[in-house]
Amino acid sequence: MKQLFKTFKVAFQAIYKNRTRSLLTMLGIIIGVAAVIMTISAGEGATKQVQDQISGLGTNLLIIQVKQERRGGISVRKGKELSKKDYEILRDNSVWLKKISPMVVAGGQAISNQGYKTTIVYGVSQDYFDIMSREVTLGEAFSELDVKLAKQVCLIGKTIQEELFGGENAIGKTIRIDKVPFTIVGLLEEQGQGGMGSDQDDMVVAPYTTVQNRLFGNANFNVFMASAISEDKIDDAEIEATILLREAHKILSDQEDDFDITTQVELNEITGEITDILTILLGAIASISLLVGGIGIMNIMLVSVTERTREIGTRLALGARESDILTQFLTEAIVLSAAGGIVGIAIGIVGNQIIYQATDFYIPTAGYAIAIGFGFSAVIGIAFGYFPARKAAKLNPIEALRYE
Amino acid sequence: MANKKVIETKKVSRVFKNGEIEVHALTDVDLVVKQGEFVSIMGASGSGKSTYLNIIGCLDLPSSGEYFLDGVHVNSLSKNQLADIRNQKIGFIFQSYNLLSRTTALDNVALPLVYDRTGRFDNPDEMAKNALIQVGLQDRIYHKTNELSGGQQQRVAIARALVNDPTLILADEPTGNLDSKTSIDIADLFVRLNDAGKTILMITHEPDIAQFAKRMVTFRDGRILKDERIENRTTKESALRELELTAKQV
Repeated sequence: MKQLFKTFKVAFQAIYKNRTRSLLTMLGIIIGVAAVIMTISAGEGATKQVQDQISGLGTNLLIIQVKQERRGGISVRKGKELSKKDYEILRDNSVWLKKISPMVVAGGQAISNQGYKTTIVYGVSQDYFDIMSREVTLGEAFSELDVKLAKQVCLIGKTIQEELFGGENAIGKTIRIDKVPFTIVGLLEEQGQGGMGSDQDDMVVAPYTTVQNRLFGNANFNVFMASAISEDKIDDAEIEATILLREAHKILSDQEDDFDITTQVELNEITGEITDILTILLGAIASISLLVGGIGIMNIMLVSVTERTREIGTRLALGARESDILTQFLTEAIVLSAAGGIVGIAIGIVGNQIIYQATDFYIPTAGYAIAIGFGFSAVIGIAFGYFPARKAAKLNPIEALRYE
Repeated sequence: MANKKVIETKKVSRVFKNGEIEVHALTDVDLVVKQGEFVSIMGASGSGKSTYLNIIGCLDLPSSGEYFLDGVHVNSLSKNQLADIRNQKIGFIFQSYNLLSRTTALDNVALPLVYDRTGRFDNPDEMAKNALIQVGLQDRIYHKTNELSGGQQQRVAIARALVNDPTLILADEPTGNLDSKTSIDIADLFVRLNDAGKTILMITHEPDIAQFAKRMVTFRDGRILKDERIENRTTKESALRELELTAKQV
């Protein structure tokens, strides 16, 4: 033990003696570890943001969609479109569904007398706000009657408010969407940036009847949004909706569903999988720089061993055992990479903060990213330090002493 | 006490194999060096004296024959035991000093104590200082290697060889890199260390320096050619006088 301590001291002295070189060697590890931490954290940040957003939708959400199939990267509708009758069957006969709203989505240009903006129009029923837990901050949501009468009313998101009306109160004002005038009856609560960078406040919400009649020109739907009566009844609600829709679509028992029902939980799992892959991919790329840093350490240690051949010979002659030399050089490599790891972690954490301050993209520095960064650098120290250290320890003292 | 054998080699041979070719570097070398002796080893390049020194220094093992260092049968030792015996019983002095660069004299001298596993030394710094005082470098204790002259560096190396109180001091061409005046100083330092009881074995090319010893062994072709007592030992004074005379002649 005492011997180990003495050898550590020798290793630290050697690092201090070659300060510049030691720093440059560490630089590779510093950059590698910082990169690993920052990319993994960025991946984690994206995951968290997407999942927060999904949770924000309400935990008892069900999304009923027309079955789609991916062909060559393009989604192609496979099943029957969802009809108004489907909506009514589900609305009137379901026990476990609390609320349901059909949804038609159309892109369009919204124009006020102050400006215009390309946006997305959601045609929904009055129950949409409850299902999606969207609050109305100013004015009020449209009513069942408005939907029935296909009134030209709408609610707008914060982005539309700002871009088309500035600081002005937009309630009661008119915007035109693809030449169809809508009266603004309410302002939606701000949602902030969505997952993958979409703006959730850049939206117009209007009765689906109006959107179908005036904008969409189609009597059917692609999506129903629904909520279960409680979170633990979500599976029952899914089964029930499946049975009702199969019946309505007259699907035989040996045939597959021609629709898809996705629940909140499944949605979380899917996005979790996607972002996990993203995180792993980014982390893997960053790991390469860490690997390069490790090779840098090995390179410098090999040069160092060659350069210090006489020193090693002298130490061996004066009574150092092979294990003393091995420990000394291994310690040097581990200390270099571990110190580089610590500095890299610090830079990674600070870097995350800087990105957060600069872009508002919140990056939690994942604890396991730090563990991975530090563990990796220590392992690299041992792995890439061992070969040069062994080379040093196996030197023949007679030849080493004579080395020029 | 004075009759204790520090070195005893019996029919020591060393053969180097290089592919098919066998080189007999040493053949049947018998030598006994007793405590308190000061032996200089002479011989041309390739005479086997360096090979012999490596074996005596426990850096190499003989191909055949027996070697006892201070009563220890060296042939049968493991690598680690060889390292330990070098650390405990031998003080090495090299032609090119082999000090650690950019390191203080003190740390250089304390180096063998880093590898001491017996725990017999309590205060390495104190011991290193004493060794430096012994070689007359009390004013250079905290100087770094590169701030010292060649003679001073060799004195640091000698202090390093003394610090672990070894049974035997082995010097390999200790004056090979030094000028005549400094060589005489270093040789005189060996004489004084020998007077203080140290057993010294010194390889040298220079007959003048060899004459400082009490006994001279000459190697040729891997065998001992001559082994004689030096009757008329050179002293520092006589060597300096000689040096002045030659200087005047030129």
